[in-house]
Amino acid sequence: MNRFAYARPGTLAEAAAETGLVSEAMVALSEGAVLMAGGIDLLDLLKSELVTPSLVVSLRGVPGLDAIAQDAAGNLAIGAMATLASVAEHALVRASYPALAQALAGAASPELRNVATLGGNLLQRPHCWYFRSPAHHCLRKGGGHCFAIRGESQYHAIFDNQACAIVHPSTPATALVALGADVELHDAEGAARRLPLEDFFVRPGDDLQCENALRPREVLTAVHLPRLAEGTRMAHLRQGEKTGFDWPLADVAVVLVHDPDGTCHEASVVLGAAAPVPRRARAAEQVLKGRRIDAMVAADAARAALQGATPLSRNDYKLALFEALVRRAILAAAG
Amino acid sequence: MTETRTETFPSGIVGVGLGSVTREIPVSEPPPWPPNADLTWIGRPVPRLNGRSKVTGATRYTVDVRLPGMLYARLLRSPLPCAELRRLDTTEAAARPEVRAILPLAKPGDRLRYAGQPVAAVAALSLSDAAEALAAMDVEFRPLPFVVDMDEARAPGAPAVHDAASAPAGHPSGFPAAPGLPLEGNVRGPAVVRRGDPAAGLAGADVVVEGEYRTQVHTHACLEPHAIVADWRADGLTVYISTQFTAGVRQELATAFGLPLSRVRVVVDGMGGGFGAKSQLGLYGRAAVQLSRAVGAPVYLAFDRTEEQVDAGNRPGTVQRLRLGAMRDGTLSALAIESFGTAGVTVGAGIGFFAERLYSCANFETRQHDVFVNAGPGCAMRGPGNTPGAFAVEQAVDALAERLGIDPLVLRDRIDPSPVRREERRIGAERIGWSGRHRPGAETGPVKRGIGMAQSLWMSNVQTNVACEVRILRDGSVEALSSVQDIGTGVGTVMAQVVAEVLGLRPQDITIRIGDTEFPPGGPSYGSRTTASITPPLRTAATRVLAQLAREAGRMLNAAPDEIEASAGRLQVRTDPTRFLAFRDAAALLRTDRVSAVESRLDDYGGFRRRMPDAAMALEDLGGVQFAAVAVDTETGVIRVERVVAVHDCGRPMNQLLLESQVQGGVLMGISYALLERRIMDRRTGLMVNADLEHYKLAGIHDTPEIETVILENLQGNSATDAYGIAEPANIATAPAIANAVYNAIGVRLTSLPMTPDTVLAALARTGRS
Amino acid sequence: MATPTKTAITVTVNGRPRHLELEARTTLAEVLRDGLGLTGTKIACDRGACAACTVWLNGRPVCSCMMLAIDADGQAVTTIEGLAQGEALHPVQEAFIEHDALQCGFCTPGMVMSSAALLERDPHPDAGAVRDALAGHYCRCGTYPHVVAAVLAAAERKS
Ligand code: SF4
Ligand code: FES
Ligand code: FES
Repeated sequence: MNRFAYARPGTLAEAAAETGLVSEAMVALSEGAVLMAGGIDLLDLLKSELVTPSLVVSLRGVPGLDAIAQDAAGNLAIGAMATLASVAEHALVRASYPALAQALAGAASPELRNVATLGGNLLQRPHCWYFRSPAHHCLRKGGGHCFAIRGESQYHAIFDNQACAIVHPSTPATALVALGADVELHDAEGAARRLPLEDFFVRPGDDLQCENALRPREVLTAVHLPRLAEGTRMAHLRQGEKTGFDWPLADVAVVLVHDPDGTCHEASVVLGAAAPVPRRARAAEQVLKGRRIDAMVAADAARAALQGATPLSRNDYKLALFEALVRRAILAAAG
Repeated sequence: MTETRTETFPSGIVGVGLGSVTREIPVSEPPPWPPNADLTWIGRPVPRLNGRSKVTGATRYTVDVRLPGMLYARLLRSPLPCAELRRLDTTEAAARPEVRAILPLAKPGDRLRYAGQPVAAVAALSLSDAAEALAAMDVEFRPLPFVVDMDEARAPGAPAVHDAASAPAGHPSGFPAAPGLPLEGNVRGPAVVRRGDPAAGLAGADVVVEGEYRTQVHTHACLEPHAIVADWRADGLTVYISTQFTAGVRQELATAFGLPLSRVRVVVDGMGGGFGAKSQLGLYGRAAVQLSRAVGAPVYLAFDRTEEQVDAGNRPGTVQRLRLGAMRDGTLSALAIESFGTAGVTVGAGIGFFAERLYSCANFETRQHDVFVNAGPGCAMRGPGNTPGAFAVEQAVDALAERLGIDPLVLRDRIDPSPVRREERRIGAERIGWSGRHRPGAETGPVKRGIGMAQSLWMSNVQTNVACEVRILRDGSVEALSSVQDIGTGVGTVMAQVVAEVLGLRPQDITIRIGDTEFPPGGPSYGSRTTASITPPLRTAATRVLAQLAREAGRMLNAAPDEIEASAGRLQVRTDPTRFLAFRDAAALLRTDRVSAVESRLDDYGGFRRRMPDAAMALEDLGGVQFAAVAVDTETGVIRVERVVAVHDCGRPMNQLLLESQVQGGVLMGISYALLERRIMDRRTGLMVNADLEHYKLAGIHDTPEIETVILENLQGNSATDAYGIAEPANIATAPAIANAVYNAIGVRLTSLPMTPDTVLAALARTGRS
Repeated sequence: MATPTKTAITVTVNGRPRHLELEARTTLAEVLRDGLGLTGTKIACDRGACAACTVWLNGRPVCSCMMLAIDADGQAVTTIEGLAQGEALHPVQEAFIEHDALQCGFCTPGMVMSSAALLERDPHPDAGAVRDALAGHYCRCGTYPHVVAAVLAAAERKS
């Protein structure tokens, strides 16, 4: 780690004002100020000196950013500084959004979940090993090419992997996108905006060096989960090489809304660890809509979910793996 | 000639068939021990005595050593897989006020052969000062062609990792051994072992099975990194080092620095894992000592995790082509193996003696080659050679059994001459439920279960250059001393059990002082030899020092010293236990503050099989059999090991609890090797991309199956304790047992490690079984 | 680049307020080990991947290598040295010894801290809950089976 100054402002505006580049996700190669939430990812980047800021601004001093609260309409707001553990353990999350609770329970390790925040988790930088290796100056770090595409790509993307083949590192994001979550962003002047989490993440084709839509001097403050329609059911499944603490090789979130007669009329199928951003499998959703879900339908949808995949030399195993996981997740949700 | 006497020892497997064997033993040796059931402490599950200091964080590991005025060192390492050092200018770094010394480890013009090879060392006031000094060094490398993949390295025209002068020849640990092997391109070898006529054996076979098996590079990944604190002073050198061999490091230091042994002291208290990687002083150790000498202050040098992954040794990867011929009845007519292995820039990537010695086969040949690649040097790792060797042989034997239509256990009963392993197979088969085993791939449904087994083979090594001291102090306290180190096995607790057994005390009454070369030389903790080496002379020493106490007690009790026995905290007259002295009271009779005995031993009672300068081999056939039950998800490719039954022998089991821990550890490292771990080198940049514990995956608690351990009491009357090791045998059989179970589950043989979902799915897809 | 000076913080460590002057970049693990001499807390990966460095922050287990010490300002940290009550070991510590849930012992302080925290939260865990609580810990010696047995036994003893 380089030497840096540290500030712990008491208000969001101060925090945003102090930082030119503001989120953990925006800090690569920055020499300015960075914002720190739980700090897990930032410390990893600092230790590798992939980030050498002059100032680290901790959000720990800003009160209320870790609140989890339901509004009168039944929507749930989760503060960006809420720890993964506190969200996973929250009664409302467990009761109403079990797929999110499942995704959180599989994220990182218990010790990390006690510190890591939901905001920080969404803003993690990629865990591509070339990206994390100071010795590999890859495209995403401003270098000339992607090392993964023709290299060691076993944990990389099978979709949208022509320029940079990262997978999005957040497992909770897979569930949150499927649940239709929004993120709330504040800037230094106090202006707020909301946008769907799905649109918050940025594809390599749109910007190769930044994974989200945060603007300078903007802070992610909350994640909003909509109140769910009657008949909503969901599941999140993940598969790693290890059973515990491990990055998923594949993770899948499925949220279905069934009519009283058992027909699926809304479906959201999202693949994690498949693409640079959590990937809506719209073709699969189309297969499910208007159908009563059984093993055949689920299998059709799973096949559809993998349409258009472009696996790399070392990761074509992900096709079969995802297909199984999507099918199982659909059946688990419909169950 | 040593004076001898004749003794009769219990011999055989306790509970199965116990006979006796008569031995001529030196008169100085204690009488035979009965089976463990008739002993007080030996074999019992005595909890380790240093447990309290470990669970409270009090144990001091090398990385915890803090000496006054201590400086912190770091190493500058080559960032390239192959490079010529063009410039190393340390002027600016040396001028920094926090920097105390800089030591070049390479000079301009030198060729650096792997990424991570040390180039220079610096000592500074703090770790971050040292790191900043490294960054301030002006260093230039000229990139050279490199090769990190073994197959590519074997191809004609591959960049040469070594020239004739730089290529290491033989490997001292001998896998494969022979010096003077030919070098062609990057390939050194073959080292050939042959008996009979393998070609004729294959030609005359009723059935031949062939296969190619691959094993990956596996890193030791000790949780405590390599670490040293060197304290050079005018009157001598003290080194704290995370080592498996204090006495060996002392000798290396004396030689390297021209010091008399008497001026070199090596100390290790807590030792956070070695598994073969911490047997030597190493370049980093020498660098720390040189820095300490240069500045006249203690110097601390520890690897970080990346350094640990790239430059702390590894288990070499192999590819083994194997041909196994047999007659209809299962008799082996030929076994021929050609192996290529890579230990990076060094040699030692053979397949051990597993194939050579496990099964009866008149016609046998191994041709083993080392392949050089531009990667960090390999070294011995838990069951070196035999662990990758077993992965191939044990699968081939199962494949042969299937071809012959013979149950794999029945086939092994025919071709494995060991009566001990026969018993182990019988026990294991019963516990795992072998009789309910279905034919390969018989289960329907996506998750398929299967059972498999494999055998282990290791040798019983003994260090002969070992001595122990036992002291009785006048207050009745007792010390046992040796430079032997506890690398996690709990050897100190076993020592206390031995002394307590002899002196009629409790293990917790014995103060164990080990891990310091101020004490009599203990052997190395590698090759599963520590218990076998240390406990016999220790028992002799305890017996001798007891005799001194018995003289005093006998005087008091009006009995001859040899009529006195020690039992339950007393010295008593054997024929009349009502005449006794409490141990303390007997000790109070001593005329000096303490009495002491230092003992070593020369030979096994039956004679060693083989002798080396400071070591010997007691038995060639330390065994063990493991059974695994697995579940394979054929849709995701995920293998779960659900149960392992590990049946092992190690002579006389000394401590049931510690042995169980060792076996569990061996099995878990085997599971991790089978399913998860692999060093991944990027071929284009020549760098290890998972030099961490994030993408280099170890088995965790969720990957742990139920492990049932059975340890036979296999007495042979070979030494005063008859005890041998278990750490390595416990690791060798696991991966092939899992592979054989996977085959039983899915009917597809996985021939390369690790068996990750990608390889499982690919194998299923190839055979159309997905 | 300006070199910021050291910052003063106060952390309650094992029940005692400790005043520390440190650079902002110092991790909690480093300050415990080097600043306070509490070397029972181990660093094995320094990246959050092994949990050897686990301590309690306000009663919850965290990886001290992945936290800036300065972020612990004003909070309570418990390390392995602070778990026993004087001579009396915590039931988890006792059970670890009895069940031989340690070999080299390097991972042990972290394992003990997470296990003890589990029992604070859930006095009657089953084996699955123990595994979940220890999922982040690596033990290269393979003590996991004995660790599970020890934690279950400690739960038994506590109740
Ligand atoms: S996948 Fe992206 S982050 Fe990884 S090497 Fe390629 S460009 Fe860099
Ligand atoms: S040392 Fe902190 S998690 Fe490994
Ligand atoms: S006991 Fe050695 S790492 Fe766990």
